[in-house]
Amino acid sequence: MSLFQEISENLQKGKAKDVKELVQKAIDEGYPAKEILDEGLLSGMGIIGEKFKNNEVFVPEVLVAARAMNMGAALLKPLLVKDGVKSCGKACIGTVKGDLHDIGKNLVKMMLEGKGLEVIDLGTDVAPETFVETAINENCQIICLSALLTTTMSGMEDVVKAAQAAGIRDQVKIMVGGAPLTDAFCKKIGADAYSPDAASAAEIAVQYCTV
Amino acid sequence: MNHRERVRAVLHDQAYDRLPLVSFGYWPETLDKWAAQGHIAKEDADGYRREEDNGPADRRVMASLGFDFNWCSTVGGNNYLMPLFTEETLETKPDGSRVIRNVEGLIEKVNDHIISIPAFVGTSLTGREAWETLYLPKLTYSEKRVDEALFRKLAQESDKREMPLGLYVGSLYGRIRNMLGVEELSYLAMDDEDLYREIIDVVGNLCYRVAEKVLSYGVEFDYAHYWEDICFKNGPLINPAVFRELVAPHYARISKLLQSNGIDITSVDCDGCVDLLVPIWLESGVNTMFPIEVGTWNASIAPWREKYGKTLRGVGGMDKRVFALDKAAVDAEIERLKPLVDLGGYIPCPDHRIPPDADFAITAYYCQAFRKAFG
Repeated sequence: MSLFQEISENLQKGKAKDVKELVQKAIDEGYPAKEILDEGLLSGMGIIGEKFKNNEVFVPEVLVAARAMNMGAALLKPLLVKDGVKSCGKACIGTVKGDLHDIGKNLVKMMLEGKGLEVIDLGTDVAPETFVETAINENCQIICLSALLTTTMSGMEDVVKAAQAAGIRDQVKIMVGGAPLTDAFCKKIGADAYSPDAASAAEIAVQYCTV
Repeated sequence: MNHRERVRAVLHDQAYDRLPLVSFGYWPETLDKWAAQGHIAKEDADGYRREEDNGPADRRVMASLGFDFNWCSTVGGNNYLMPLFTEETLETKPDGSRVIRNVEGLIEKVNDHIISIPAFVGTSLTGREAWETLYLPKLTYSEKRVDEALFRKLAQESDKREMPLGLYVGSLYGRIRNMLGVEELSYLAMDDEDLYREIIDVVGNLCYRVAEKVLSYGVEFDYAHYWEDICFKNGPLINPAVFRELVAPHYARISKLLQSNGIDITSVDCDGCVDLLVPIWLESGVNTMFPIEVGTWNASIAPWREKYGKTLRGVGGMDKRVFALDKAAVDAEIERLKPLVDLGGYIPCPDHRIPPDADFAITAYYCQAFRKAFG
């Protein structure tokens, strides 16, 4: 088994300590950071994402895999910066104003990172202008909005309107998700995409970043 | 027939005169709004906060709307942290939100001006030492957990009671999730499997012993009831294989106890997409799904009935979102429910607590339309 396969398989099992050691070993053996990231960490997280979508693994497995990925990625980050490697895209994500839940938002963030995107996590109860300012200041291609409650999901439309008012609507894709959300609601408020689950959200985000 | 007889008849697929009109309570903010609009008394809105489900305030509100009773009309011993932790504010943020340690030891971000589920920050259950010093002593069985006078009184009243009464058996995983949060619980399962298993066993054994003690007084319960909430819109927050291996044996053991005391209806309150857990519950003697959330994942008793037969019962599955719409939406929802009721063994009930966007008159209209449709 190759070193990259070992990294991928240990990541899928959530063995964070082993992943960290294996990533360090790969670095020490002179593999380029980008190759370790793509062939080891992102490959493993991609498999987890697909299995999650197919109900072959569940939230706990995703969480421990993402933790393992983050531990390995932390070692690679300075090397990626040094090598001038850029992420395949950039998104900001948050739970809309008036909503404090964050499990779904965190899962989407993990899946996006697992696809190689840089993600700015704005947390919960985020004002529309904060999403828009972040998208402008950080050159985000995507704004991801999460809501758990029927009473807060209307806040997503406020973000769409704020992006229009700021003149960035044609430069940024707005994705929405959460328990009460539907594709019809997404269309109604003028957002770009609704995704029913975290893995699908990551796939859509990658498409947006590669267009 | 009285409501008790109706519930027993429906859930045993026997003849009944009319369907009971069952409630699942409200968000407190809903009652605040209705009180401010003059539909209910302010004392009842305040009273519901204190007394919660099926207390005197709830019963008055249900009467004004037209509901017969609240499915969460349960009693039980204390099968959780005893005493609870004392809530404390750890930090107040400039925006007015606070980081608190809640009564379950969970550290979370709350905002008193926001109606929402709090955001998880951390847990006090940080490892074995915290478990053994802070939690284990609060999860140890003692007879103080059971109110002897209450259950002796209920036992004497068993024959006279006209309303169904459920035995609250506890929570075998949901409360553990509450103590740790989804993320920390998932990490614990990976980092310290022995402790993870031990916590599940301690909670399961405590629930068993408390139920055993309550049942020793001879109260005739109509059903038993668990609270779990361990699923989200796409599936369970635990791997079903782990659930089957570690948690299901505790359900099965408690079910045996319940059945030996004449309780053959056991419901579980679990939000979210429960599909993958349903067969595990059924195998373990938990046979009544509640509240069958339509709003989040279009749940219905119909496909389960087709797959599992009449062993599976249901309470819930009424799309509460129509309370924010109009009479036509209510009428359409009643029509949608009719073929599900015809399946038998099913009592419609709002698929979650009635939220603040609900209109009082439309909610009351649902009760009228329900009566017209189902007797």
